[in-house]
Amino acid sequence: MTFLLSVLVFSPILGILLLLLTSKQHESNLKMFGFIGTVPPLLVSLILYQYYASGASLADFTIKNNWIRFGNLSQYDAKLFTVDYELAIDGFSLVLVLMTALLTSLAAFASHSIKKEWKGYFVLLLFLEIGMLGVFTAQNLVLFFLFFELTLISAFFLVGKWGFAEKEKAAYSFLLYNGIGSAILLIVIMILFARAGTTNIQALTHIITIGGVPTIAPISATMKYALLVGLVAAFAIKLPIFPMHRWMVMVHVEAPTPIVMLHAGVLLKIGAYGMIRFGMGIFPEQFKSVAIYLAVLGVINFLYGAFMAFIQTDFKRVLAYSSISHMGVVLIGLGSLQAAGVQGAVFQVVSHGLIAALLFYLVGIIQEKTDTSLISDLGGLAKTVPRLSGWLLAGSFASLGLPGMSGFVSEFLAFLGLFKSEPWLAAIGSIGIVMTAVYMLRAVLDITFGKEKEKYEHLTDLNWLQQIPAGILLLLIVSIGVYPSLLGEPLQRTLDAIMIGIGR
Amino acid sequence: MMENAWLIPLIPLFSSVILLIFGKQLRESAAYIGILAVLVSFICSVIVLVERIDAPTYKQEIVWLVTGEVNITAGFEVTALNTLLLVMVSLVSCLVQIYSKGYMEGEKRFSIFYTYLGFFTFAMLGLVLSPNLLQLYFFWELVGLGSFLLIGFYFYKKEAKEAAKKAFIMTRIGDLGLLIAIILLFWKTGSFDFQEIFSSIGAGEISGGMLTLIALLLFAGAVGKSGQFPLHSWLPDAMEGPTPVSALIHAATMVAAGVYLVAVTFPIFSASSTAMETVAVIGGFTAIFAASIALVQKDIKRILAYSTISQLGYMMLALGTAGYTAGIFHLLTHAFFKALLFLAAGSIIHAIHTQDIYKMGGLWKKMRLTSPLFLIGALSISGVPLLSGFFSKDEILVSAWVNGNFLLFWIAMITAFLTSFYVFRLFFLIFTGQPKTEVVSKESPFSMVLPMGILGILAVCSGYIQTPWFGSYLGEFLVKGNKFLLVPAHSEGPAWIMAAAAVFSLSGILLAYLIYVKQTISRNFLIKEGSFINTTLINKYFIDETYYFTVGKTVKGLALFCSYIERFVIGGFEWAVTGTIRSLGSAGARLQSGQVQVYGVAVFAGLAVLVIIYALTGGLIR
Repeated sequence: MTFLLSVLVFSPILGILLLLLTSKQHESNLKMFGFIGTVPPLLVSLILYQYYASGASLADFTIKNNWIRFGNLSQYDAKLFTVDYELAIDGFSLVLVLMTALLTSLAAFASHSIKKEWKGYFVLLLFLEIGMLGVFTAQNLVLFFLFFELTLISAFFLVGKWGFAEKEKAAYSFLLYNGIGSAILLIVIMILFARAGTTNIQALTHIITIGGVPTIAPISATMKYALLVGLVAAFAIKLPIFPMHRWMVMVHVEAPTPIVMLHAGVLLKIGAYGMIRFGMGIFPEQFKSVAIYLAVLGVINFLYGAFMAFIQTDFKRVLAYSSISHMGVVLIGLGSLQAAGVQGAVFQVVSHGLIAALLFYLVGIIQEKTDTSLISDLGGLAKTVPRLSGWLLAGSFASLGLPGMSGFVSEFLAFLGLFKSEPWLAAIGSIGIVMTAVYMLRAVLDITFGKEKEKYEHLTDLNWLQQIPAGILLLLIVSIGVYPSLLGEPLQRTLDAIMIGIGR
Repeated sequence: MMENAWLIPLIPLFSSVILLIFGKQLRESAAYIGILAVLVSFICSVIVLVERIDAPTYKQEIVWLVTGEVNITAGFEVTALNTLLLVMVSLVSCLVQIYSKGYMEGEKRFSIFYTYLGFFTFAMLGLVLSPNLLQLYFFWELVGLGSFLLIGFYFYKKEAKEAAKKAFIMTRIGDLGLLIAIILLFWKTGSFDFQEIFSSIGAGEISGGMLTLIALLLFAGAVGKSGQFPLHSWLPDAMEGPTPVSALIHAATMVAAGVYLVAVTFPIFSASSTAMETVAVIGGFTAIFAASIALVQKDIKRILAYSTISQLGYMMLALGTAGYTAGIFHLLTHAFFKALLFLAAGSIIHAIHTQDIYKMGGLWKKMRLTSPLFLIGALSISGVPLLSGFFSKDEILVSAWVNGNFLLFWIAMITAFLTSFYVFRLFFLIFTGQPKTEVVSKESPFSMVLPMGILGILAVCSGYIQTPWFGSYLGEFLVKGNKFLLVPAHSEGPAWIMAAAAVFSLSGILLAYLIYVKQTISRNFLIKEGSFINTTLINKYFIDETYYFTVGKTVKGLALFCSYIERFVIGGFEWAVTGTIRSLGSAGARLQSGQVQVYGVAVFAGLAVLVIIYALTGGLIR
């Protein structure tokens, strides 16, 4: 059984081989193989879910092989300064893996709109998928970092080559900001490795929280704080947290929309994942004392993103700031240090992934049909393309946290948590709940409602094939919203472990 | 049937989904599916009501989500109040859907209309069945969505678009209060469940100040939904939706949800006298405030909308003065006569294609069925003796009097006078005098007249469930077995109140008659045309303008402020960093001169520094 995770992570290679063997002129074949390449990981992740649902223990899938050994220290301790190839999965990872595999398939499907050099595009897309799947299953920080960098590099080229007008600028901005984050992350990892002699997450958690294990060099209390702050800072850029968000707006606007689906849907979530797994997981004590700052930053993100989204003229920018705002909810939940809040944060990670993917999928179609995403250029689309408008309206209501959809559950839980720990801060932040409705309805109603514009009279509506991705995403959003235990159950164990860690 | 009550909301939802998928093929027969579904719901509701009369409250729950150590549950509950509203909502929805078949004939998006109506009915019935606050909030927002979709049904009209947006956002402001109240209650009592919350309050587990705060926040939600001052201005604008929608959502059911919320959380309110007073004052103020605006408007639907706001104010006033039964009673009777008025108005609009009452006139002879039905509605809302509105209004007046709040009592009395005046102004302008517009079609089709007829019967008879003469069946049904509800089934008041109320209402009708029919009194008698008061009233006290210049501008300003931060502070910082690096880079490039000696010096200098540091500290990082 242990091979399954390796198969999961590296199965996109099949697709890559298939693509490499195809002539680069063969557009339709390339697009087909690109999509087919994303199917094996999806199938494997569904098989994993099936195992989980039938009651099997996810621990059975853990794989651990010797990989790199630094120095010749095995005479003292066989594990000292080794980096193993180790993958494992728990409920939290499983959910994220499922989401990644699904969104990649949908993005590959939406990549129909890519106009050139399909071969390179799909190869990079599949590399990106390997990176993302690896990030969520890696069990030591070095391996995590390698997969993390893989996502960075593939995304850089995908944005820089296949994006819109200012794609190069956006790609460099993406690379620079994330490069800084990676550098900080690498320093943290190396310090931990040098001092503890391992980067295995479980081992580190044990060493930092419980102690009692002799380490190569001591890790002082101050050092622990510094390491946590470094980790949080590194992942804050990825999430992104105000004021380090400008690169992300650029990427959202300039990147090809299938890539934005993945970027908003999965890549941003790596920031949240890292904060929860490594920040809260490895440094619970220290995390507790910085939690209040995170909560404040979360409220700032939530409100700042909402107000910025309110005055944007480009719908993609509205959605970009909306993502910033919604990532604030993750911070609000984590910063509350309450079981409900942390649960809300994790829910938000999944929920926003689905909702953002849905909205960007639709924006991509609008842009393809009308050649614009400027709100003032659009208008009255509900008349000519009622189905597209209907999906868009549904997506926007999901985004503004309508009950019955996943966004409500996560927002509610996050605020439930924050109202317990910091009621005043929560009260200020809750203004954002109204603002979300204000900016979302302003943008979406200006696009769909009102008088139809002559130039859009002959637009064709979505066909049934194009509705499938939107349907799948909305189905998941509604399922989680109506019966959140669907998501709550797999996450329960991970959440319990975290809450025990921070002593609540 | 009680254990299967959860099916009642799901049937309309099911029909709604069917219509969403197959609507295009079904065309106008979509109406039959919608009507059938809600009819089944109605029949089930009646069965549940009958069963509930002799049975205790029934409740069933499942775990919805485990969070921390708390199980959040979802389920349904059949209480006395619930069952009444189930019947009322499903009945009015059913009638409105029958009516819509005629009214919406020829509409391109006919099946979509029924899809939305079905969805709304589902949400409203779900709201009513909720056994806990979180679930109530869940459906509370969904009815908001239904309302939004139906107000914006004519989405290509700019006004409809703005009205839909306004309705959703304004109610959401109130909903935020409700949400915070729910969260606070959860942390104070550890539950969302009504019964558990009431037990905690009964045990005195929440301090007085906190309880008042929670009650006021809950009330904020009710204010938004029920169009109470200061969150009322979305409701008149909501009249942009099709008229059947106005009757169902913005008169009979959804807007009454605010009143229902206060009623269902009544033990929380009654534990705080400040909260009760606030409810009463806001209710009383809204009643007279909206009635005064209704005096001078000229759009038939808007007059009825302000009338709705005013009547909802009455209900709040009743609840705030501990007239629990009175509030619910008026909620029920109002649902019938106001839905009747709206449907009759729709029938008129259907016939002459205008909503301006100054362009109407002389319709009494043309519309032989609509006219008397409208009259029944008008008499009932005015509180003319023996009709339903008379009894429920009397109950409210008595509870205000018994509560000892004489100022509010007299405000309610004057509002009764204003109400009968503006309703009969409407009536006389539409039905008497000379016709001013060509009547396109004479009388509306049977599908439209039938629901009006049924509502007409109810508007006459429904008052007899709670009268001082025959017995207070309603009050006893509501209060019986509810251990948290410490109110009498009926308030005993002096008999002159009933007589006085009748006099006030009849004199309003008389004044309208003298001004608009006999024209013995000038139209400028009450309020002079062009005067300051008149302009203020026509412009609805400039409330919208005030909001635009305060709230609207503030939000815009904050947004601009954020964008300046983004552009100048963050952008400036980015610029500074990249600039520094660039200049460092070019400086570094200049260092690379190709002179090996210089490189050597640099290397040795660096090494020396490192060695010194190492020697001094014995290792840099500890």
